[in-house]
Amino acid sequence: MEETVMHVMKRGAITCSREASVREVAQIMAMNRIHYCVVVNESHEVLGIISARSILRAFGKDLDFTKAKDILLPYTITITPSSPLSEAIDLMVRKRIEHLIVVSDRPGSKVVYGLLHGEDLVFAMAGRKEAKP
Amino acid sequence: MTMVCDLMHRGVLYCYPDDSAKVVAEMMADNRLRSVAVVDESGEVWGSISMLDLLKLYGKDLEGTTAEKIMRPYRIEVDPQWPVEKAIDLMKKGKIDHLLIIDPHAGPKRPVGILTSFDIVLYMSHVERGTYEQMLRIPTTS
Repeated sequence: MEETVMHVMKRGAITCSREASVREVAQIMAMNRIHYCVVVNESHEVLGIISARSILRAFGKDLDFTKAKDILLPYTITITPSSPLSEAIDLMVRKRIEHLIVVSDRPGSKVVYGLLHGEDLVFAMAGRKEAKP
Repeated sequence: MTMVCDLMHRGVLYCYPDDSAKVVAEMMADNRLRSVAVVDESGEVWGSISMLDLLKLYGKDLEGTTAEKIMRPYRIEVDPQWPVEKAIDLMKKGKIDHLLIIDPHAGPKRPVGILTSFDIVLYMSHVERGTYEQMLRIPTTS
């Protein structure tokens, strides 16, 4: 059986609103020790993702006035839990992103289900069971 | 002025060019890293392997691939005395998350530390390194 995204992904994601300031987003990332933050709208539909590298884009600007919506990478790739894992990895390598947002496979719905982390894939490659909390 | 050496991690985790990709994957998983430096026997840096370079091999023969085959050659020299803005500029332009820091005083091509994009996030958020761990620590009487 072909391995799908469902087997490796983690459920749930840490999110922020698009009106959050960059300082808030940086604090969310620093306090939770994560390298990403998913930007969602009021009905929890995904708008984009902010990675550690996108935070750098705001360096030198006023962090309280720059908003999450100004620096986010817009969400364009649709990955669902039933997508084949090889396709997801291919996307990660090609677009040079370490986290893929997994959304519901109901058409038209963009509610966040979870994330596929590069870290979890490396764990699987090393033969380790699961990332330590 | 904040310099690269104020924010970088001291010390670099490295492997040798003829180590297998499996060793690199284990190293990354056990230490929770996103990149590993590749150095030769004399300690000179040859390149680095990021998580994305390793992911290309998912489901393929890990034991039969050497680190030399998947590494990216090292070209950018970052000095620990540089202002941090210069390093951030490099990260933005080159779309790199990890910069290897080379100290000219330690000898040619000797890596002394690593600067990641997450270190910059910590710096910009003003959350001190280790705050989270301190918040979780249960107070003891001793």
